[in-house]
Amino acid sequence: MNSQTKKVMVIGGGIAGMTAAWELARAGVEVALVEKAAFLGGYSIQYACKATDQCQQCGACGVEKMLANVIGEPRIRVYLAAEAAAVAGDGPFTVTLRASGNQPEAIDAACGKGYEKDPAACAAARGYSIHNAVFYKADGGFDPRRVAAPESVEVDAVVVATGFVPFNPDEKPTYRYRQVANVVTGLDLERAKRVYGDVRRPSDGALPKKMAFIQCVGSRDERLGHLWCSQACCPYALRSALATRFKHPELDITVFYMDIQNTTNSFDTFYEQCRQSMRFVRTIPVDMYETEDGGVRTRFMAEEDGLPVEEIFDLVVLSVGIMPGNDNPALAEMLGIGLGAEGFFARPDLLNTSATVRNGLFVAGTAGGPMTISGSMASAGQSAAAVLQYLGRA
Amino acid sequence: MTAKLETAMEQIEIATGVLVVGGGMTGVATALEVARQGYPVTLIEAGEKVGPAAESRPRTGLPDARRLQDMAARLAQTDGIEVLTATRLDAAAGVAGDFKVWLSTAEDVLERRVGAIVVATEFDTAPLYDGYGLTPGGAVIGQSELEQRLAGDPGSFSGKTVAFVAGFAQSGNPMVMQRIFHCVKALQDAGAAGVYVYVGDLKVADDGLEREYRTGRDRGAIYFKLKEAPAIAASGAQVVIGFHDPVVRQQIEVTADCLVVEESLGVGAQCADLAAILRIDIGPRGFLQSDNIYRFPVATNREGIFVAGASREVRSLPWALADARNAALQVAEVLGDGTRLVPRDKAVVDIGKCTFCLTCYRCCPHGAIYWLSENKPVISPVACQACGICASECPMDAIQIGGFTDDLIRGQIAAKLAQVNGDPAIVAFCCQNSALPAGEMAATFRMSVPAGLRTIQVPCAGKIDLQYILDAFVSGADGVLVMACHPGNCKSERGNTYASWRVEDAQRLIAGAGLEPERLRFATLAANMGTDFKAIVVDMDQKIRELGKSRLH
Ligand SMILES: Cc1cc2nc3c(=O)[nH]c(=O)nc-3n(C[C@H](O)[C@H](O)[C@H](O)COP(=O)(O)OP(=O)(O)OC[C@H]3O[C@@H](n4cnc5c(N)ncnc54)[C@H](O)[C@@H]3O)c2cc1C
Ligand code: SF4
Ligand code: SF4
Ligand code: SF4
Ligand code: SF4
Repeated sequence: MNSQTKKVMVIGGGIAGMTAAWELARAGVEVALVEKAAFLGGYSIQYACKATDQCQQCGACGVEKMLANVIGEPRIRVYLAAEAAAVAGDGPFTVTLRASGNQPEAIDAACGKGYEKDPAACAAARGYSIHNAVFYKADGGFDPRRVAAPESVEVDAVVVATGFVPFNPDEKPTYRYRQVANVVTGLDLERAKRVYGDVRRPSDGALPKKMAFIQCVGSRDERLGHLWCSQACCPYALRSALATRFKHPELDITVFYMDIQNTTNSFDTFYEQCRQSMRFVRTIPVDMYETEDGGVRTRFMAEEDGLPVEEIFDLVVLSVGIMPGNDNPALAEMLGIGLGAEGFFARPDLLNTSATVRNGLFVAGTAGGPMTISGSMASAGQSAAAVLQYLGRA
Repeated sequence: MTAKLETAMEQIEIATGVLVVGGGMTGVATALEVARQGYPVTLIEAGEKVGPAAESRPRTGLPDARRLQDMAARLAQTDGIEVLTATRLDAAAGVAGDFKVWLSTAEDVLERRVGAIVVATEFDTAPLYDGYGLTPGGAVIGQSELEQRLAGDPGSFSGKTVAFVAGFAQSGNPMVMQRIFHCVKALQDAGAAGVYVYVGDLKVADDGLEREYRTGRDRGAIYFKLKEAPAIAASGAQVVIGFHDPVVRQQIEVTADCLVVEESLGVGAQCADLAAILRIDIGPRGFLQSDNIYRFPVATNREGIFVAGASREVRSLPWALADARNAALQVAEVLGDGTRLVPRDKAVVDIGKCTFCLTCYRCCPHGAIYWLSENKPVISPVACQACGICASECPMDAIQIGGFTDDLIRGQIAAKLAQVNGDPAIVAFCCQNSALPAGEMAATFRMSVPAGLRTIQVPCAGKIDLQYILDAFVSGADGVLVMACHPGNCKSERGNTYASWRVEDAQRLIAGAGLEPERLRFATLAANMGTDFKAIVVDMDQKIRELGKSRLH
């Protein structure tokens, strides 16, 4: 079979989509990588390193490396700020792309006064990574030599890697996210640590002295109908807490939790380290109020006697979970692939979890269900292999 | 362009056979996937059978066991797959693309030449009676026995009370929980009178588990999350379970007709031997993969050797089958069409200078160096990752790395220091996997870094020679930074460790020459942390400003 003629579209340019695209391209397939945002990398390109005096294997820097692979691979044609508008055919498929409306910020507008003036804007304007910088012209538009304009593309197979959305804490109003300045999400914390290089309180930019993490925000929640564990938030919260504590040994950290999920094979030693340097309280706080000096008064049931107690933290981090993507219902309909009970794309075959209900369409990463970065990479490799099998070339 | 390539590259012939070690479902799936790509496979299994019979993962609740049997049956129908049961890997030699392996069967020792190896062994599993101070028998049974009884005669549990205990004798994991959830459902379907589950943490981080847990609970199963294992005592044909309930804060006793003990999910007994034979790193808890993101998902420290499923982590069968596909994908990447173009000068030994001391062979983290019978080290251009650790460790300076020869790097140091400005001259040796991109990020994002900073790219911090550091000071540096990956994040496992040792040595040397040791600093950071890069170099710049100009100038 002539491998040169095979072409695959990967929808979604997070770690899963990038990994699938790269593996396919390495195997000789032409890839159209379609990303809705103005940068590649999805959520995980925005995370901070969580090393103490040791790497904690969070995987964040691996996303940088995969992005470097992708931009160096000529068989991958990158469409940014683009999304699928219509799909026709039954393998081959004709996919019509349209502009998503996202545009990069002009670097001079965002960053003209230097990084330190507005780190968040500077980082966002360059897509969070040096490797994304190749896609932009200095005046803010896309470089047409690196970014293809939306068009109609004929492909032999499609990989859906559209990822997830972090839980929106507005759906749990008692946490008063957005109302209390020093209540932030895990994603806010990751971004801030990445762009500022350290933890800071949003209210005054100061280093917190007493911090709390609240686990399972939006996940494992019967009332919301979210009957799944997000799998990534115990690992990210604990690693982030441990790294922060390592940098600031005087910092007091409390973790409110239901159950702590495993990280890697070294979980036992890792968790022991965590337990020695922070307090674990097996209860989920009820609500929060702002104190006059910006503290977060947090009410919870004491573990020992079940009576309500209050404690004031100067920074509370909500460990938001992995929710099905906003586009899932529309995409499922357009592509003719169903959604599972939780709203992620259905993966009907346990023995090949990259398959959807339709031939020629595959799923990779958190589009199919909660998983970590390493899981997303394994899932994407599996999808790439399944695509190659489908193309009958392997 | 091609002309240039031809001079720098050489074509290498690659053996396209593949050895798969382990005949559980991961091994079976790997063999089928690899064979489908047209590479001949030898699958070896230490036991008597392959397929579901050799599989150590719980099979309860899998869609249908028949499909696994069908999959295993396809082995025999697929061309190019040789299945050897009761066979072990005795020895291995060579490098990616050219391994020689010795396989001992019941009668014979066979020799095969293969280009790649996939280890796909199964868990060792046994009920943890000892861990709970219990002896099997009567009301006390293991998880597998319960599953067998439920499959054979579910009705026998009608009206019975069954308790499970898990997560105390070993740390909890989702696979154990999944097995329990499935049994809870089966017991409820069979009309059990009561189901109690005693656990530490509910490990539900895998597909569908939280829902299964909730469903079982809604149907009446009672879960207790305890800090320590409950006290369990036999009482006639029953067991009495005593514990402190953290919710109602009371001591409670429950009597059960059956107590089900969890099973261990330990690394396969052969894994330690396999690691030694294959010269691959062992990770935490004996699994055959170090904790290192460069190994995601199925790589080892050695090119051409991959690990899948239970040989590398404790996860459910769907994930192990994903590994099988990933392994096959990576195998194809190594074997290609049986030839491979590699740079001629990746790492080259000057045999004239070599004193055959074996240092390079011992220190290569990727097992890329082999020894020829005529007493000569040879570096495989396929297996070598061009980290340069051997080059810096070789006592005779007999090894040079393409693009990073000693002459090139030392020339760069001199050239970069030749341009003088008023600012403190700081030379930063930057590992290209971490510090270099972080530094580029700082620059691209317009972070303010010191004007006197001069970065020198190295393939791995392990390539930084003591001599380079001294050169930099002699050629005019006021300060030198050696910037490497965080411990545990080095692609070559130990390059950062070598670099930190060399910095300590160099600090002693410069102190002997009358320079302040603080002028030389070792720092670690990640590729995605431009802000860390900036913080390190700014801090260094301030330090050097306090110390003033180097007294060597
Ligand atoms: C706060 C937080 C911290 C985390 N930290 C860690 C960690 O430290 N380690 C770890 O292993 N995991 C971590 N995780 C989990 C990790 O984020 C995910 O495993 C990973 O990002 C999944 O990658 P993905 O490619 O599947 O999805 P995404 O990162 O969501 O990428 C999907 C991409 O698809 C694009 N897209 C969406 N819809 C469309 C469409 N219709 N058309 C085109 N493009 C589309 C999106 O713009 C996005 O770029 C964390 C999660 C959260 C919430
Ligand atoms: S902690 Fe994460 S980002 Fe930091 S070095 Fe390790 S894997 Fe990379
Ligand atoms: S990973 Fe931890 S925090 Fe996230 S949903 Fe699961 S148990 Fe809750
Ligand atoms: S370290 Fe150097 S001298 Fe020793 S064997 Fe290797 S090449 Fe020869
Ligand atoms: S350069 Fe690195 S990988 Fe190559 S032979 Fe030397 S030590 Fe081994």
